[in-house]
Amino acid sequence: MRDVAVLGVGMHAWGKFPDKSVTELCRDAVSAALADAGVAWRDVEAVAAASSRFSGGKGWGLNGNDVVEDMGSTGIPVYNMSAGCAAGGNAFNVGYALVAGGMHDMVVVVGGEKMPKGFIQTSGVEEETDPEFLRQRCVGMPGPAFWALLCRQRMAEFGTTEEQLAKIAVKAHEVGTHNEYARFRQLFTVEDVLGSALVSDPLRLYEICPVSDGAAAAVICSAEKARQLTTHPVWVAGSAVATARFDDGLPRGLAGTVPTGRAHHSEAALAVGKALDQAGVAPEDLDLVELQDNTVYYELAFPEDWGMCKPGEAEHLLEAGETLPTGRMPINPSGGFLCFGEATTAMGVFQVCELTWQLRGAAGPRQVPDAQVGLAQTLGLGGNGTALVLKR
Amino acid sequence: MTTERVPAVADLFSEAGGVAHLHGSRCATCATPYFPRSGLCHNPDCSESAMEDAEFGPAGTLWSTSVQNYPPPPPARYDEPYEPYAVGVVDLDDGLRVVGRMAVADPTAVRIGTRVQIVVGPIAHEEDGTELVSWMFRPTDEGAD
Ligand SMILES: [Zn+2]
Repeated sequence: MRDVAVLGVGMHAWGKFPDKSVTELCRDAVSAALADAGVAWRDVEAVAAASSRFSGGKGWGLNGNDVVEDMGSTGIPVYNMSAGCAAGGNAFNVGYALVAGGMHDMVVVVGGEKMPKGFIQTSGVEEETDPEFLRQRCVGMPGPAFWALLCRQRMAEFGTTEEQLAKIAVKAHEVGTHNEYARFRQLFTVEDVLGSALVSDPLRLYEICPVSDGAAAAVICSAEKARQLTTHPVWVAGSAVATARFDDGLPRGLAGTVPTGRAHHSEAALAVGKALDQAGVAPEDLDLVELQDNTVYYELAFPEDWGMCKPGEAEHLLEAGETLPTGRMPINPSGGFLCFGEATTAMGVFQVCELTWQLRGAAGPRQVPDAQVGLAQTLGLGGNGTALVLKR
Repeated sequence: MTTERVPAVADLFSEAGGVAHLHGSRCATCATPYFPRSGLCHNPDCSESAMEDAEFGPAGTLWSTSVQNYPPPPPARYDEPYEPYAVGVVDLDDGLRVVGRMAVADPTAVRIGTRVQIVVGPIAHEEDGTELVSWMFRPTDEGAD
C-alpha cells in the first residue's frame, strides 16, 4: 500500500439554501478543494462520491456523476458509495483505497446534500420484510427515540444528569460559533438548552442535530504527488470501514439477543479500532476527534467505546473542560453536527476538512494547540461505520 | 357490539389469557432467538443454521425507556390529536431484547429495571373505529399502574 495525502479540502457553508441545487453546493466545495490543493479539475483521475437518498444523483444515488458532468466530463471513473449517513466516510475510504492501491494518483472525494424538511423517515421502503418499516409501523420510534433509549440507559447506569447533557450542547456552540461554515453560530446557556422542547425524553431540540444542506470535498493523492505539490501535506494514517456485529446488543430493528457485554455501536468501534491500528496510534494519543454527534449522548458514549477514557468517565471530562479544543480530549472542535446540522452524506467529508485545517494549524479561534493526529468517525443506517486517522 | 381489532402487521404476535407472545424463531444449534421469524441463523459463530418456530414472552425486564414527545413520521401510526407515548426496550426472560410501546397511563412514570409483561394494545384507530393493535409492555411491579 502506498502512502496517501490530503492535498486540499473545501466546503460550502451548511444551512438551508432553497435557491441552490445540490450540484451547485458540490461545485463550490470541489472548486474550493481544487484551489486549496493547487490543482485543476483535469488533473483529477477519479471521483469517489457519497450517494444521497434525498437529493440529486438522478434519483439513483449517482451524485458523483452529477459532479463530473458539472465540473467537466473528462471520462474519469466515478464511484458512488451508499452507506446511509456513513456514505461520506465510505466514499473517503474508497478514494483512499484507489490511491493507496496504486490505481490512481489523484482522487476527489465529495459529499453534498439538500435535505427535506423536518424529521426524516429512517427507512425508504414500505415493505413488511424491512425491519425499519416494522419498527416504525408496529411501535413508532424514529431516530431520536433510538438515541433517547441509549441515553436513558446510560443515565440509569452512570447517573448522567440532564444538566450534563445540556453542557455538551453548550460546549458545541462555544466552539462552533468560531466556524464560518457552521449553520448555528449563536451561544447557548444550560438554561437555554434545558428550556428547548423535548423531542424524545430526555433529549431536547438543542441536543439533537437538525437536517441541513451542505457539501464538502477533498483532493487526495499519492505521496509522490504530494511531495511535488506541497511542503505541508496532511497524511492519511488510517482509513477503515466496518459493519455492525451480530451480538452488539443495540436495539436495532425489532429485536436482537441480550448481549453478554455492554451494548455499543460495534460498527463504529470496529472501524475506529482498525483505523487506529493502521495508524499505529493509541486512543489516548489522539489530539482531537471529530465524531458523529447526531445527539449529545454520543459525545459521552463513543470516547469510552473506543478506549479514549474509562466507562462513566466522560461526564467528568466534560465538566472539567477536557473536551474543549484546549482540553486533554478535544471532541468536535468544528462545532459538530449540533452546530452544522446533518447534511447526511456530506458529513464524513466535512470531518476530513476540519481535521485537515486543525492539523495545518489553520483553525483559528477553535484551533487545538499543536494538533498532530486526529480521528474522524461516521455511522449510518444498515450498521455502517467508518473511521479515518489523519496525521501532520 | 365489540370493537374490531386488527394487528398493525399480521402474524407477529398472539394473545391469550390477557398476555401476548411474540412469534419468532430460534436456532436449534446455537439457541439464538429471532423476532420476527428468520429463515437463516445470523450468528457468525453458529456451525449450522437450524431455524425452528418459537414463541417469546411474556415476562421480561425493562432495559431502557423513552417518551415519543413528537408525532413520528410515516409509516408510524397514531391517533389525532397526538398524545406522547412511552417506548421501551425489554430483555425478555427467554433471551430476546425487543422494542415496543409501553402500555402505561403516564408515559413519564416508567422506570428502567421494572418487570414487564407483553400485552396487546391499540396504537391507533381507523376511521370506522377499528383498533390497530400491536404488542406492548405492561409493568407488573407492585405500585405500577
Ligand atoms: Zn445458530
